[in-house]
Amino acid sequence: MKKYLFIFKTEFINSLQYVKSFIVGSLSLILIIYIYLNLWNFLYSDPESLINGYSYTQMIWYILFTETLWSCIKGRKIVRDISTDVKNGNIAYQMNKPYNYINYILSKTFADFTFKLLILLPAAIVLGHILIGNIPNFNLLGCLLAIITGILGTMVNVLICISIGLLSFFMEDAAPIYWIYSKVILVIGTLFPIEFMPEIIQPVLKYSPIFAMNYGPAKLFVDFNYDFLIKVLISQVIYLIVFYIITNLVYKKGVKNINVNGG
Amino acid sequence: MLTEVKNLIKITFLSTKYAIMREMENKVAFIMNVLFMILNNASFILVWVVMYSIKDNINGYTINTILLLWGIASGTYGVSRAFFRGAYELSNKITDGKLDAFLVMPKNVLIQSILGVTPSAFGDLLYAYILLFISGITPYKFIVFTLLLILGGIVDVCSAIIYNSLAFWLGRVDSLADSLTGFVTMFGTYPDTIFNRFVHILFYTFIPVAFIVFVPLRILINFNITDLLILLGGSSIIIILACIIFYAGLRRYSSSNLMVARI
Repeated sequence: MKKYLFIFKTEFINSLQYVKSFIVGSLSLILIIYIYLNLWNFLYSDPESLINGYSYTQMIWYILFTETLWSCIKGRKIVRDISTDVKNGNIAYQMNKPYNYINYILSKTFADFTFKLLILLPAAIVLGHILIGNIPNFNLLGCLLAIITGILGTMVNVLICISIGLLSFFMEDAAPIYWIYSKVILVIGTLFPIEFMPEIIQPVLKYSPIFAMNYGPAKLFVDFNYDFLIKVLISQVIYLIVFYIITNLVYKKGVKNINVNGG
Repeated sequence: MLTEVKNLIKITFLSTKYAIMREMENKVAFIMNVLFMILNNASFILVWVVMYSIKDNINGYTINTILLLWGIASGTYGVSRAFFRGAYELSNKITDGKLDAFLVMPKNVLIQSILGVTPSAFGDLLYAYILLFISGITPYKFIVFTLLLILGGIVDVCSAIIYNSLAFWLGRVDSLADSLTGFVTMFGTYPDTIFNRFVHILFYTFIPVAFIVFVPLRILINFNITDLLILLGGSSIIIILACIIFYAGLRRYSSSNLMVARI
């Protein structure tokens, strides 16, 4: 565990070098919030009305929360880095190091995520207050618990991204798989809560990783209750275990196939 | 003068042809990139299906208008990235001193440094025509649509040249340039009528998405000479501005004596 904490610490310090670049890069978060603020403004002809159980303020806070978490993780980079490691043979050097490759990527990614979350989350909360006012039925403990579930949900997301990256052992380019995955997650759960999807697929979505990754934590953020918190935590624990096992299995099967020529 | 232009077109055509042939070496990866990009773009239609299930008209935009908007946005993105990828990496070439290789060649520096092929962008291009087909294709529409995509694509490339050329004066601006080119793409996929007057001014100046997507959309739906003149005038200004800014910046360029092999 100590070695992973050390990797976390090193990567966190490394991230500090890119504060300016990260802040400029995060302008797109403000832009997407601005676009959806305008779009929902037209859809909610009466700001007090509810659409699929959500008020205008709840919808904007929902998107603000999911988009902030999404902006803190560069899934595309995780997939690309692992693909590069596999393609250029760097993975062979990683295999004989005294750490587990999956845990190494997890520690590295989480250092970067923590750094970004510490900047973006307070900024997003301030932005939300300026644009639409208070979080509906604000409850400090509820918000903190929702943020913790958001972090656990992000861990599920990272494990799925690592699994997709590891598919490079078996196919030339895993990036297209990530494009589809990221867009499904973006549309279902990030931009729209599950209630906005066709009724026929809603029960399936409520048992899918989307519930654990973004919908559950964001719903808690805008409408907190303890029964729902327990459901979200149970699904997160299950999906964390399932995807950790899957990721390790894909890695073990992949390294058996590896064939590195010289170097 | 005419011979020079002819040579320029010839070298652009040949460079692109060989770059495509190089990418096609791995046919499976190339086709996967194209197909998955089409699927990736198609997932965004789900956003609009959800939006239009709430209201059937978003400030003058029907679902058919959105299909054409996405067709033009995706097509111009396809044209620009499929053939001129280098324009989006120009700031790195400037700060890393990689323009040296183009400066010693007896051909146009700007054209050579912006050429480059992105396989997945051919998926964007194909997707544009799929949407045109769905929204109702006629020979007239097909021709006008193709001309608008070519012009819009060129304006997109020129805006990227302007953003990236800031590196001549400001140093490392890759994050800023990426954000600004991202703004063009992002704004271009939402109805312009949801934004206020200030944002509309930006669309005709600093983020010239009006000349890439919105004015071409108006021309495609309801042709009128005023829009055509606005498009031709605005596009010409951006193209001329891109050349002036790049060459003014090039005078400040200094080599980094970087030794690399270009294969």
